[in-house]
Amino acid sequence: MTTQIEFSGVNKHYGAYHALKDINLSIDQGSFVALVGPSGCGKSTLLRSLAGLEKITGGDISIAGEVVTKLPPRKRDVAMVFQSYALYPHMTVEENLTYSLRVHGVAKAERKKAAAEVATTTGLTGLLHRYPRELSGGQRQRVAMSRAIIRNPKAFLFDEPLSNLDAALRVHMRKEIRALHDRLGATSVYVTHDQIEAMTMADHVVVLRAGAIEQQGHPLDLYDKPANKFVAGFIGSPAMNFLPATVIEGGAVTIDLGAGPIGLSIPVAAPVGARILLGIRPEHLTLTAPGEGRFDAPVAFTESTGSTTFVTTATTPEMMVVETGRRMVASGDRVGLAFADTSVHVFDAETERRL
Amino acid sequence: MSETNRNRLLLAVALLLAAIYLFPLYWMYITALKTGSEMFRTPPSFWPDDPQWSIFPFVFQLKGMGLFLWNSTVIASGSVALIAVLGTGAAYVLARYRNVWVDVGLFLVLMLQVLPASLMITPIFVLFTLTGILDYPRMAVILAIAAKSMPFFIVLVRATFMSVPMELEEAALVDGNSRVGAFWSIVLPLARNGILVAAILIFMQAFGEFVYSKSLIQEIELQPSSVGLNAFMGPNTNEWNRIMAFASIYVTPILATFVLLQRRIVSGLTSGALK
Amino acid sequence: MRRLYSSLVDGRGFDLCLIGVPLVFLLLLSGVPLAYNVVMSFQAVDMFSLGSFVRPWVGFDNYRQLIAQPEFWPIMGHTATFLIASIAGQFLIGFALALFFWVNFPGASWLRGLFLVSWVMPGLVVGAVWNWLLSGDFGVFNFVLHQLHIISGNVFWRSDPAFALWSVVIANIWLGTSFNMIMLSVGLSSIPADLYEAAELDGAGALFRFWTITLPMMRSTIGALISLGLIFTLQQFDLFAAITAGGPNNASNVAQYWAWDLSFKQYDFAKGAAISVIMIAVVMVASVYYVRSTRHEVRG
Repeated sequence: MTTQIEFSGVNKHYGAYHALKDINLSIDQGSFVALVGPSGCGKSTLLRSLAGLEKITGGDISIAGEVVTKLPPRKRDVAMVFQSYALYPHMTVEENLTYSLRVHGVAKAERKKAAAEVATTTGLTGLLHRYPRELSGGQRQRVAMSRAIIRNPKAFLFDEPLSNLDAALRVHMRKEIRALHDRLGATSVYVTHDQIEAMTMADHVVVLRAGAIEQQGHPLDLYDKPANKFVAGFIGSPAMNFLPATVIEGGAVTIDLGAGPIGLSIPVAAPVGARILLGIRPEHLTLTAPGEGRFDAPVAFTESTGSTTFVTTATTPEMMVVETGRRMVASGDRVGLAFADTSVHVFDAETERRL
Repeated sequence: MSETNRNRLLLAVALLLAAIYLFPLYWMYITALKTGSEMFRTPPSFWPDDPQWSIFPFVFQLKGMGLFLWNSTVIASGSVALIAVLGTGAAYVLARYRNVWVDVGLFLVLMLQVLPASLMITPIFVLFTLTGILDYPRMAVILAIAAKSMPFFIVLVRATFMSVPMELEEAALVDGNSRVGAFWSIVLPLARNGILVAAILIFMQAFGEFVYSKSLIQEIELQPSSVGLNAFMGPNTNEWNRIMAFASIYVTPILATFVLLQRRIVSGLTSGALK
Repeated sequence: MRRLYSSLVDGRGFDLCLIGVPLVFLLLLSGVPLAYNVVMSFQAVDMFSLGSFVRPWVGFDNYRQLIAQPEFWPIMGHTATFLIASIAGQFLIGFALALFFWVNFPGASWLRGLFLVSWVMPGLVVGAVWNWLLSGDFGVFNFVLHQLHIISGNVFWRSDPAFALWSVVIANIWLGTSFNMIMLSVGLSSIPADLYEAAELDGAGALFRFWTITLPMMRSTIGALISLGLIFTLQQFDLFAAITAGGPNNASNVAQYWAWDLSFKQYDFAKGAAISVIMIAVVMVASVYYVRSTRHEVRG
């Protein structure tokens, strides 16, 4: 596979604020990459730098082998779907779709034809002569997508395109965008703060925090082998439980959940006396009768969605257990907690890196 | 009291208030229509016995108002054109960015907005004399008005530009347009109404401008209506019906424009001046 | 050349060009006169030296002579009276009208907008109309006051030194009230209704709500409006020209009219410049406050 987009040593400063810190990232032709992270992590800045809407202060960006660092947006040949959709309110859907073609001097008849074609694939036929204000949220979203598709650009950039939709439509559009991407064989860069969107849609997920890449890789690799506590906590829902622990002799650790030390035999690659964090995902914990699990804990409260039960323990720190089906445990009950050694992630308490 | 009765009562009070407030305007038109003797009658009549409609063409002829109005129009149009061309760009840049330099620029613009014309006219007159601009008096007035009113225009139009989302312009850039192209095809059309309202307000202001015209234009055939009206009102005049006729002819176009576009003008004014 | 072109079309050059040209224009036509005004106020300027840059330097003589003139302090006093009375009148009547029109009824916003005609009319026409309304013998204003038994004899508004300034104040209040009213209406309508609902649930009466919610929420509007009023009032020239021309015997003369009168009637440009410098300094202080009141804006 060839590299379509390459960031090498990209830095961005806003005055004294360091928004992007030495970003190195290469994106393969035809892949779907998600940039994910909490707000203010620099994911949107990175995307906007790629589009040319922000000037980077160091490093280089190249698209399809050409260094575009100093080029204005119009010479980069990328299409972007904005969070607000950014539909031109004074133009009809058709004019919105064909705006880029018009800028590039495509003849009117051809523009009309292109708009009609795209409209068929995205289900906008019949809406071509409406104005954006006359469309529903979902329809506007489609117009924004179609406006990108019509150009056949070198890359599609998405800036949180689904965050203005309601939950049901969002799930639906997730699939649709991904299907569209596959059909067009396009290269897509997708910014989101929603890790579920990133996990379900992307081939390659890049987790950013405070302007730096924390980890990147296949979504399941990120889930299975988070490189540090931040990624471990960010990927997966509900979030991973972290238990402070100390390594003791004989391949064991002690944890303290507020009711005295508990010994657990877990092999850890750390010297005796080291302070570590044990990370266990809620879905990897199972409830047992008291005394039958690895240790016991009192229940603080339970929440049930019908299909799934979330049990929160009255420990410090509190832990969450996800059980499928309904569990009849009540606040104050003592339960046993069981888990497999292989599902435990171990992090250094100091550096928060994976051990 | 029922909702409709309450509304009727409020409307009646509102109409009464408006009638009191706008009485001076009514008096202007009524006086113009009165004969010389009816005008000075005690008690005054609130409706003319014998409306003198012919006074309007008469005063128009007598005072050569065609020329005055033409000069007012030339001065107002010139000022608006100059202000719109220069001010729109400045307003756009001041709306689009938020940094120290923009704050400095905005501060300067607001400062210049407050300088009273009657205080600025002394140095302007001397400088225009020195540079020879005074040889083209109407041009001189246009330049002076443009400098005076541009800040107000910038403040109003800036508010309009701030309501145009930045993403629209960015979308146009990504769609392959240049900054210039995006400005013309996206930003300007979306700000058109606000710019138009500000331009109309500036036109009205410039159409009634007095200090600069009075001080910079000596030739009577180049003077605007405001100076003409001022000259008409000698210290001990008793031609009030004619003066009011002059005033009526002068302000009626402005009032008509205002009443027609009232909603837009009011909303344009309120969005910019205070926010 | 290419770099320049691409910067103009795609980059910073575009912004710099858009802001640069107007700024240079404003500097040339406002900034330079402003500075030149200060220079002139320290020079001896007469009809003969008007056309040359080089003039004798006289230091603070112009200012000293100006202040020594017997009319200086009275005129400054008139300016202050004119400012305070105009602003207070415009604001209070404007606020009362705004509160009335705040009650929603059909046609309220259209009627309210109609008031603004007083503000868009040329100042000279407003002056002419009020000149006639306030006429001593035949003015309808006197007639109405008489009918209301407020006065017994005719008041010679324009020619009586005790009233001349007030005739301009009345006209100016009429002219500016509508602007105050519209701006205050906007401020009032931007107060969220649920605040009042919450206060009502808390048991606050109408007057108490006005003091504790309306006024505090309107603070920045009122601040900006008062400073705008100060600025507009100091700019008021046309009404003086049309109603009293500063007379009789300077009884209604104010600084901004006097400055013009000195320069263009008495051809004493240096003193005209000196009074301008003094007044512009006052305006600048007011506008700093105005700029500060308009600072709290959010991107729409």
